[in-house]
Amino acid sequence: MLIKLENITKEYHNDDIATPVLKNINLSVREGEFLAIMGPSGSGKSTLMHIMGFLDRPTAGEYFFEGENTTNFTDDELARIRNERVGFVFQSFNLLPRTTVLNNVKLPLVYTHGKNIHGLAEKAIAAVGLGHRADYFTNQISGGEKQRVAIARALVNTPSVIFADEPTGNLDSKSGGAVMHILQELHRQGHTIILVTHEMDTAEHAERLIKIKDGMIMDDQPITARRIAEPDGAINK
Amino acid sequence: MKLKILQQVFQGLGNNKVRTLLTTLGIIIGSAMVILVFSAGAGFKSYIEAEIDSYGSNAVFIETRVPPTTQALANGVSESINTSTGTTAVAITSLKTRDVADIKRWPNVADAYGIVIGQKAAAYKGVKKNIMFWGSDPGRFQIDKGELASGRFYTEREELGLSQVAILGYELARDLFGEEDPINKIIRVGDLNFTVVGVYEERGGFGPHSTDNVVFIPLRTAQKKILGIDHLVTVIAQIEESDAAEATVEDIRAILRRNHNIDDPKKDDFLVQTSAQALNTLGAVLAGINFLLIAVAAISLLVGGVGIMNIMYVAVTERIGEIGLKKALGAKRSDILSEFLLEAVLLTLLGGVAGILSGAAMAFLVSKIAASYGLAWDYIVPLYGIIISVSISALIGIVFGVFPARNAAKLDPIQALNKE
Ligand SMILES: Nc1ncnc2c1ncn2[C@@H]1O[C@H](COP(=O)(O)OP(=O)(O)OP(=O)(O)O)[C@@H](O)[C@H]1O
Ligand SMILES: [Mg+2]
Repeated sequence: MLIKLENITKEYHNDDIATPVLKNINLSVREGEFLAIMGPSGSGKSTLMHIMGFLDRPTAGEYFFEGENTTNFTDDELARIRNERVGFVFQSFNLLPRTTVLNNVKLPLVYTHGKNIHGLAEKAIAAVGLGHRADYFTNQISGGEKQRVAIARALVNTPSVIFADEPTGNLDSKSGGAVMHILQELHRQGHTIILVTHEMDTAEHAERLIKIKDGMIMDDQPITARRIAEPDGAINK
Repeated sequence: MKLKILQQVFQGLGNNKVRTLLTTLGIIIGSAMVILVFSAGAGFKSYIEAEIDSYGSNAVFIETRVPPTTQALANGVSESINTSTGTTAVAITSLKTRDVADIKRWPNVADAYGIVIGQKAAAYKGVKKNIMFWGSDPGRFQIDKGELASGRFYTEREELGLSQVAILGYELARDLFGEEDPINKIIRVGDLNFTVVGVYEERGGFGPHSTDNVVFIPLRTAQKKILGIDHLVTVIAQIEESDAAEATVEDIRAILRRNHNIDDPKKDDFLVQTSAQALNTLGAVLAGINFLLIAVAAISLLVGGVGIMNIMYVAVTERIGEIGLKKALGAKRSDILSEFLLEAVLLTLLGGVAGILSGAAMAFLVSKIAASYGLAWDYIVPLYGIIISVSISALIGIVFGVFPARNAAKLDPIQALNKE
């Protein structure tokens, strides 16, 4: 099992008032799965993904990642997992401004130690079809291309799992489709992908759909009528 | 490993040129100001010291003064006031040529001369100028360091013969004669004609300190023919062994007391000072000036520091999102700190060097301007100025660059990311 959450709880404390955001989440994700998480705004989708991606810690519960209990890992150990074993794609791209595509994709490698990193960034850029944009600055490319750069950056260290939090949220349907095509392609090559979205159309690109509401998993079903995105962004059912 | 971080820092600096420039500018201005202030201070000090030194090293100054006791009787205050500065109405007439002769004979005294000073109009071919004239015997030329641009000094014979000969200061000669050669020309000083026998080289100095506007004439000529007096205002003596200077000063006091029939030192109508003591008096002035300069330097550092602080603070706040992103991508807290520390060190080094260079350039300009006024102003960039300016601006840069970054590095990656 790649990911195993046991009774994960998350509370925020503001002025001594505890707001529960995640309540007793139990979830397992196998290697090679393509999982979509849906739910209304404020239901805790992002919070859940941040915990699974080691950007945040749960208030209670245990988290096993690739068989290891990570609950008591130090900050530096978590940083290392973030660097080498997970990749992130954010809704708002989060690229470094005034920096080239290549250097953006190389950024995680700055913090990678004891590994041959030669050529990895170029390979990742080629994988998202942006080889011809490598030396462009991030303000010289389109939104869809920016998100593909973000995917290349998530991909660069060949992680065990890629998390994407509403990756198409800031894109029109065509460039959103192109991004989904790349995610499906990566999945086909064996990558594990966890996607947060609140659009059913987008969620249907995955294989399995989890619905959460008020911090609880309400539904967990395989997707039967799967959508397939074309390289140009067109979507077939 | 750190090499990649360093590359990352260079890339960040290069990609954000405006921010880099602004941050560096604060450091440049701060350290340039300090260098300028310290350098100008050192230059000013060199000018004052050269000024004293031009009277000759090992010089002893003997001036008349109203005895403190008499003066206390006269107006109820006890400070002494120099007659030569003209701040008292009581004229002391006891310092005589005989005193000079007696001082001259003393074993450790190499030479001595007396001076009287007055003011008159000097004229040549319709050009007229108010000038100071100094009457002194030719002994002055043995002690004083001034050199002639042309002509000769007047002689002992001319002194004794009350000759009407004169040596002109550089500026005065230029003002009266222009391009014309003044040697052997006749000028008018007051109601008398004087033959110009020599012209001094430019000596510099400021205001009353400058001798470039002075007419130098034989002592007796000044006393008898112009002023109608037989006393002196100042006597300057040169000591042979500077080790024994203090003792010699005491001996000179004894000579003067005997000659002036004074038995109580409190009733001394003269003041004897070595050039070192005169330097000390000036040293007190210099200490005041130094303090002022340090205050100015401190203020400019403060201003520069606040500038650096602001820019660093803004830069770090603006970059919390960037810090969050880097943490999300696997940067450890120590990686973030190294990045900001390296960046601050690089910027302060860069800014420090640029600041020293521009401060030194400005100080050079100041020294050139001072020199154009004829001041003997050395161009000095003191090492302590460099050390102080660089270390303080570096400290400010690092403290204010790294502390906010340290707080930002502590944030959870997601908190930092959402700060954007
Ligand atoms: N730092 C925080 N402090 C307090 N409450 C927070 C904090 N972060 C998130 N929350 C709350 O937790 C709840 C879940 O937030 P989360 O971002 O996970 O929702 P979401 O499902 O991703 O919503 P959306 O679809 O709008 O992105 C929200 O009610 C939010 O207000
Ligand atoms: Mg969300």
